[in-house]
Order: sequence, then structure tokens, then C-alpha cells
Amino acid sequence: MSKVLEKYEVVIGLEVHVHLKTASKLFSNAPVVYGAEPNHAVTPVCLALPGSLPVLNAKAVEFAIRAGIATHCEVHPHSVFARKNYFYPDLPKGYQISQYEEPICTGGWLEIELEGKGGPALKRIGITRIHMEEDAGKSIHDEAVAGTGSAVDLNRAGVPLLEIVSEPDLRSAAEASAYLRTLRSILRSVDVSEADMEKGQFRCDANVSLRRRGETAFGTRTETKNLNSFRFVEAAIGIEIERQAKLLDAGQRVIQATLLYDPGTNKTRVMRTKENADDYRYFPDPDLVPLVIDPAEIERVRRELPELPDQKHARFVSEYGLSDYDARLLTTSRALADFFERAAKAHGTPKSVANWMLRDVLQALKERELEIDQTKLEPGALAALLRLVDDARVTAKSARDLVPELIERGGDPAALVRERGLEAVSDTGVIDAAADEVIAANPEMAARYRAGEDKILNALMGQVMKKTGGKASPAAVQQTLARKLRG
Amino acid sequence: MSRITREEVERVAALARLHLGPDEADRMTTQLDAILDYVALLSEIDTTGIAPTSHAVPMATPLREDRPGTPLDPEDAVRNAPAREGTAFLVPKVIEGEES
Amino acid sequence: MTAPVGTLAELRAALEARRVSLRELVDAALARAQALEPKLHAFLGMRAERARAEAEASDARRAKGEVRGPLDGIPVAIKDNLVQRGEPTTCASRILEGFVSPYDATIVTRLQAAGAVIVGRTNLDEFAMGSSTENSAFGPSRNPWDTTRTPGGSSGGSAAAVAAGIVPLALGSDTGGSIRQPAACTGIVGMKPTYGRVSRYGLVAFASSLDQIGPFTRTAADAATALEVLCGHDPFDSTSLPEPVPQFSQALTGDVSGLVIGLPKEYFVAEGVDPAVLASVHAAVAELERAGAKTREVSLPHTKYGIACYYLIAPAEASSNLARYDGVRYGHRAKDAANLSDLYCRSRSEGFGPEVKRRILLGTYVLSAGYYDAYYRKAQQVRTLLRRDFEEALAGCDVIATPTTPEIAFRLGEKSGDPLRMYLSDVYTVSANLAGVPGVSIPCGFHDGMPIGLQLMGRTLDEATLLRVADTYQRRTDWHARRPPEPA
Repeated sequence: MSKVLEKYEVVIGLEVHVHLKTASKLFSNAPVVYGAEPNHAVTPVCLALPGSLPVLNAKAVEFAIRAGIATHCEVHPHSVFARKNYFYPDLPKGYQISQYEEPICTGGWLEIELEGKGGPALKRIGITRIHMEEDAGKSIHDEAVAGTGSAVDLNRAGVPLLEIVSEPDLRSAAEASAYLRTLRSILRSVDVSEADMEKGQFRCDANVSLRRRGETAFGTRTETKNLNSFRFVEAAIGIEIERQAKLLDAGQRVIQATLLYDPGTNKTRVMRTKENADDYRYFPDPDLVPLVIDPAEIERVRRELPELPDQKHARFVSEYGLSDYDARLLTTSRALADFFERAAKAHGTPKSVANWMLRDVLQALKERELEIDQTKLEPGALAALLRLVDDARVTAKSARDLVPELIERGGDPAALVRERGLEAVSDTGVIDAAADEVIAANPEMAARYRAGEDKILNALMGQVMKKTGGKASPAAVQQTLARKLRG
Repeated sequence: MSRITREEVERVAALARLHLGPDEADRMTTQLDAILDYVALLSEIDTTGIAPTSHAVPMATPLREDRPGTPLDPEDAVRNAPAREGTAFLVPKVIEGEES
Repeated sequence: MTAPVGTLAELRAALEARRVSLRELVDAALARAQALEPKLHAFLGMRAERARAEAEASDARRAKGEVRGPLDGIPVAIKDNLVQRGEPTTCASRILEGFVSPYDATIVTRLQAAGAVIVGRTNLDEFAMGSSTENSAFGPSRNPWDTTRTPGGSSGGSAAAVAAGIVPLALGSDTGGSIRQPAACTGIVGMKPTYGRVSRYGLVAFASSLDQIGPFTRTAADAATALEVLCGHDPFDSTSLPEPVPQFSQALTGDVSGLVIGLPKEYFVAEGVDPAVLASVHAAVAELERAGAKTREVSLPHTKYGIACYYLIAPAEASSNLARYDGVRYGHRAKDAANLSDLYCRSRSEGFGPEVKRRILLGTYVLSAGYYDAYYRKAQQVRTLLRRDFEEALAGCDVIATPTTPEIAFRLGEKSGDPLRMYLSDVYTVSANLAGVPGVSIPCGFHDGMPIGLQLMGRTLDEATLLRVADTYQRRTDWHARRPPEPA
């Protein structure tokens, strides 16, 4: 891959389809449900029965405005719904109501954080447009259900979607992934979508092309559709980069095509090429009038917008005195940021809480592939744990060992400390005795310390800690040893 | 000068999922040609700067409160289905070849 | 054979005087429909059992003094492109064979709330595409005045049902003249309200930006009554106007003094128009002048582009609206389809008739890449010009009067071989749909034994003035009271 990247620059643009968390569908009052039996959440409009007509969901519009403001887009007071015409069993009307020439938002951006040589750097990724459209239904090919055919379920047909199209500003699979994570975080923080990828609420199409380094013209791009996990996005992009590079190296051309990624085989295959691409015959939907939004309404949404990740980040730096880096990490998700603030409030020293969260809590979460709001750890409990350490009632090490347990099973830290017998040993008698034993057992090391090798103390400390079952305060052990050795 | 060819009629028929027999295709081509010839009348008019009308009677955007209503009884939803499996519509196998 | 039914006003009087019951009225309508069916083929299906039950319920209410309004218990017919829960809707097409709707059109709900009794579904051109009902998959309807001629279309069945005195009120839909032209062909009143006045929810869509439901009646007064029930904002239709609905019957003052009637010169050109039609229309206008109205010449300069404009926009919208008829969820599905593509192509090709196919092809073509700007967008721009024509003309007059059609009802088979020729007969009616303005046709004379229609068009939302002029005319003339000969 690195050889490929020396020769070629990768150009990536992403289209994300995200489910809005409305209670009813975009153009019908059918409920939005997940996992229901087929066609248990449909109305005449969803089924495209003769005579049915669309009526726009006010909440979906508000969510679209929020998403636009949160990504610094221009929100247009006038936008138009257009029909995208094609035939497919999960598209009951034979057209999808979408937006084409006049979408609701254009010209936005977001910033992703990249690992640079001099530390983390921010890169701005443009957002070309955001528009509203309805989702299609589902075809089930399971033989048990549909035999040799396919079964069509229209529960999902009509669910409101935002399509968010990025500029082709991304240059690697890693950047793509960062963009998606950031976008997802923003959308969740303004409460327009759960963006649960497993439920298909956040799906990505990746447009990938290569060009020789130094070239300014874009190469021919391919589109890989419906990637619903960050891993799949990175994998599919990787496959395309390799495949296209191989073609170009051999002097061949890349053919514009739409691809599907199969996670099972980790391969992509061609769905259709440009030659047999459909002509969608977009035209303004005559069953709907243009969407006219009062600019005052846009301002109201802007004012009432929940705090965005980068606003939160700035506030964490100024209000809690956190470093830029720490603040950024804590604001990657709204849940994490909220947790931090509650814990910091309960504890009183935000920096301390931040350290613990960034180190131990995040580590434990990562290992278990959990989000903070999926655990049993309460902000109050973390604060309480830290206070036990502050009061030297438990050593830092013991406390750190408790974090995974609190995450998995919750509970009261003080009670846990008692149960496990983790109370810190602060009894100087015990520490004294242990120190004496260790010094006596290690005359050589003792001598080296007295000769000026300060560092050797750590080894001696380690032994004392072992003797006390790790429960002695490291500071106390160090002081005791030093005192005794200097004699 | 013909405005539409037989090939174009067939292309359009495919787009519209209509099958035309050879005689039918010929007939349609002749008739559509005559119609398109007639509607070309519009090219006489200078429409520079004229906004297109999608809706003859202007009105404010109607919006619906986000409150779910009662969905159809699933049996009613599939009652007219030519083929069904439980409460799902049954069709010949769909090859993953289009939008999802 | 039962006698032809009276007007709504006459029926109201008879009911109040207890000379007849609603059950009897409905029975009479059903019997007369059946008796005339072989001659007229106005209906595609009757709703006898339910209609009788509803009529009896109305009688029971009436006995207790609970009358819902002027339509309570009255037998009515609806065009078979309006859905009713639990009843078939065919749109006169094979592609909807067997389809039974699980929901009611809004106007059906309104009619039922008013107590009206739907006795049957009337014939139309398939999917409302046509001007004669010859495009019905189930055979054409016939004109009660001369059964060798068309009753007009696409709402020919509804027009025939009212003209033949089967029901006092029938509903049609008008996209390019499909209510007004049949009304002219059969000598009755047919009104197309302002676009958006009547909910389209449950009207099977042909061309969404042009379709509008409206009533056929014998008199303008009856039309006013019907409109009060039909019109009104519907939250299920995004193109439904929010404006309140006036009491149209209150507007029928019989007074047109000072009212200005505009006569657009483009509609009175002799070429291509039967001179008898022009003469009748002129005479009608003269009658209104005697009643106190004034006339002036106006111009609707883009009139000659109306047909071209219409036949680009309507098929384009239709091609998209009819994509849902694919054999997947309802309607006709081809047998033994080898795969999905086969299922779509064969179901649709077997299910749609030639005119529908033609318009779908035309519409698909004009929307397709490379042609959109030259055809569809261009037509939408011309539409703006047509709208402006009406706004400017109606700034200087109160109503516009024209012939409804260039000739009397043509003979069945006369135009069906030439689609373009058929389209050109819509020349006087399409502009009102394109501009969104209301229009009504009322009988104003005869030629060769066949009715002639006078069309009145007005400002948007001003149906009241149109009805006032029409009603005033009908107080002074009796064309509307003439009835076709009873069949032997």
C-alpha cells in the first residue's frame, strides 16, 4: 500500500445517509419502528396505494436545519422536493421523494483531527450539500422466508433520511474514518439521530479515485455503496485503492462503476457500470409545494441548538483548564462529555477526573468495545473513587484495578474497596517493618542507593509494595525507604 | 426530420418498464413523432428569464406534526397482493442491483 | 323504466313534502341505472346493497328530524378513479383488476358525512386519459342525446349518469377539461374548482398539478350545493388550499348588473370551430348582457400554446404517477414472470391500454436526460405565461366566457385513430388547468340535436362569481331543463 501511496494520491468523497429520529415517517404519519413484523407499520402512503399523497413532517425539517447549522452549512429558506424515478420492489411509488437541484443545505464543513508529525492537527473537510429524502423498504432474500423469490417489507419505506455529501477532500481511509466519526458525533450531539450503525441508521457510500501525485485533475471514481461500519468503510476503500492502482499501473483505465462490498468475503463486486446507469428523470414533485422556511425559524433553531462538540471543546479548555488534546478526546461523544462534567462537578477537581477518564476509563471502554452510556459506571461513582484515592484510603493502583469492575457491574466504590480488602495500608508500622526487611535482603542495592544511584529506589519500592500486597501508599513507602537508607 | 427514432422509443419503453411488440413500437414511434412535432410549437416563444411554474396556485408549505397515527392492519396492507409470504409481498428474486 | 330524477332542489322539496323516501330514491336510481346500462354503459359497478342500507339509515334519521344537509340520503355516483374503502376501484384499467382500497378518498368521507349515498362507480377513459371514454378498458359510454356519440371524457360515465337522469349529482375529475367537456357534450353543468379547493387525497393521480375533482349537476344551484360539501382544506393533501370555503349557495343572487364578462379573442376565431357553437355562445353572452352584464374583448395571448404545454406537463407527471402500477403490491401481475424485470414489463404492458402507454412513453421521454430543459422545463415556463395571461385579463373583467368545445359531441370512433386530433379538441379547456383557475360549463343551446356548452372561467377562489353568472343565466333560459329522449 505504501508504494501505491507514494505514486498516487487518493481522493475520497463520502455520502452518508442518516436516519432522523422522528416518531413518524417523512411524508406519512406511519410510525418509525425497528424490528417489527413485515408491513406492520405502513399506511396507504407507504404502500403507494392509488390516490395516496405525501405530507411533510415538521420535525424532520427542524432536524435538517439543526444538522445544517451544526455543520456550518447555509440553510436555504427555499428548497424543493424532487422525484427520483426508478423501479425497484422496495420503492413502492416507483420514485423516491428526494431533493435535487435545490437542497435544504449547502456549503458546510467540519474538522477532523489527524495524527501529524508535530502532534494532532486539524483538517477541514467540506460538505457540499445536505438534503432530505425518504428511505426505501427492505427486500428479504432469505430462502426460509421467501423461497426462490424475495419478500418485500415496507416498514422502512418513507423513514426520513438526510443525505450528507462531502467534498472530495479526504485523502486516506483513516481520514474517511475520522470524518465519519466526527460527523456521527455531531449528529448525535444535536440530537437529530441515534446514528446506530448496526440498525442501519448511518450508512456510507464511498467515492474513491486515484491520481498521480502532483496532478490536479481528478481520476475516474467508483462508488462503493451501503457501508454500515467504520471498519467496512476502511476495508472497502483499501480494496479500491489497491484495485485502481493495479489497473493504472498496467496502463488501463478505471471504469466508473457502482460497487457493493461484501464483508463476508472482504471483496467488492460491480453492481452496475455507467453504461447501464439509470436515468432518474428528476423533476419537482407536483404533490408537494416548495419548502419555504422563515429565516426567523432558522435563527430559533440556531439559538436552541444543543452545544456542538467543538463548542464544548473550547469550553472545556477555558472552563476546566484542560489541555486542547484532553478536551478534544473528552468531547468525541456527547455521552462522554456529559459524564465528565457530572463527574467533575461531583468531585471538584476536573483535571484529576479528566486524567482518570482519559487513561483508565477510556482504556476499559475500548477493550470492551463499549460506549460510556452503555456501562454501569456512574459519574458519581467515579468521583467517589477518586476521592478515596485523594484521601489515601486506597492506593491509586488498587483504584485503577476497580475501574473495569465498576464499568461492568457498577456499584459503590467504598463498598467494593471494603469487600476486596483493598484499603490502603497507611499503618507506618507495617510499612516500616516491610522496608526494614527489604533493605536487609538487598544490601547491594542499598549500597548503590547510598552511593548516589537514586533510581534504584524504585526497585526497592517495588519489593516493599509486593510485601504489602500493593496496598501501601507509594509515597509513604518511598519516604520510609529513603529515610531509612540515608539513615 | 423525425423528432424521435424507433431506438429511442425502445430506450424509453425500457426506462418505463413497458414492453412493446414490433408493430406497436412502429406505431408508437409514428404517433409520438407527430406529437413531438406539434409540441415543438413552444420553441417559438421566448421564455428567457421566465420562472417555471410547478404549482399554479401559490401556498405556504403545509407541515405535519410529528405524531404517529395508526398504521393499516397488516392484513389490509397485503390484501391486494398478487403474491405474499405472511405479511410481506413476494416477488421474483431481487438481485442486489439497485439502490438500498 | 323509472322517470329521470329531478334536481337536488326538486328532490329536497319532494322529501320535505314526504312524497318520496330516500330508500325509494336510491332504488329508483339503481333501477334506472340498470335499465339504461345496455344503452349508455355509464357505470362500471354498482353498490346496491350498501346504498340501500345507507338510504334506510338516512330515512330513519329524517324521521327523527335529523337531516344532515341537502345531500343527506341523495343517490350520487362517483367516477371510478376515486377510492372507497372496501369497494373496487378500476380507473377503467385492467391493471387495477381486483383492487379494493383499504381507505376512503377524502371526498368520499365528506360525502358520507353529508349523508350522500354512493350508488355506483362511473366509466372513464383509462386513468382519466382521454376525451371520450373510448380509452376505457371496459368499453365506451354513450351520450344519452345520441348513443352513437361520445358523452365526452374522461368523466363521460358521470356526465351520462346525470344527463340521463339516473342521479342528480355525480363526481368527475378534470385535468385538461375532463369535467367541463363532458358537461358540454351532454347538456349539463360541470364545474372544475380552483386547483386546491377540493382534496385530491384518494383521487387516483393522473397529472398531480392539474387534477381537480368537481361535480356534474343539472343546475348551477345544485353545483353550489355540492361544492359546499366537496371543498375545504385537507391535511392529507399538501396541495389543498387553506382558504375558507364560502357558502356558495348564498352567492346565487340572480344579479349580474355591472358584472364584466371578458371575451378572449383567441377563443372566438372561426377556424376549426363549428359556427353553430360560436353562435350559441354569442347568444348566451347577449342574454347575460340583457340581464345587466357588460362585455369587453380581452386577450389570452398564449392560448394557442396551451395544448402543447398541457401535453408535455400532463404526460410527464403521469409517467411518474403511474410507475407504482408494477404488479408488486396490488393489481394485475403477469403470470409466470421469469424475473423481476419480466414481472414489471409484462404486468404493465398487459395491464395498460395504448393511450396510457403512449402518454407514459411521451412523459418519460420529455423528462429524460437531455430533453428535460427543452421540453418539460420549457412547458413549465410557458405555463407561467398562461397564468399571467389570466391574471392580466381578469384584472379587467370578472369572468371570462368562451365556448367549452369547438364542436358538438363527436361520433364514437371518429377521432380514436388519431391521438393528436383527439388532443386538439381540448383547446378551450386546458388553459384553466394550467393556470389553476376555476371553470364551469353550462348548456347554452343545441345543434343537430346535440347540446352546446358555454364555459365561464374566473379568478382563483372565485367560484362564487362563476356560479352566480351561471345561475342567473339559468333563471332566464331553459337549456338546462331539456332532457334527452327517453329510450324506447
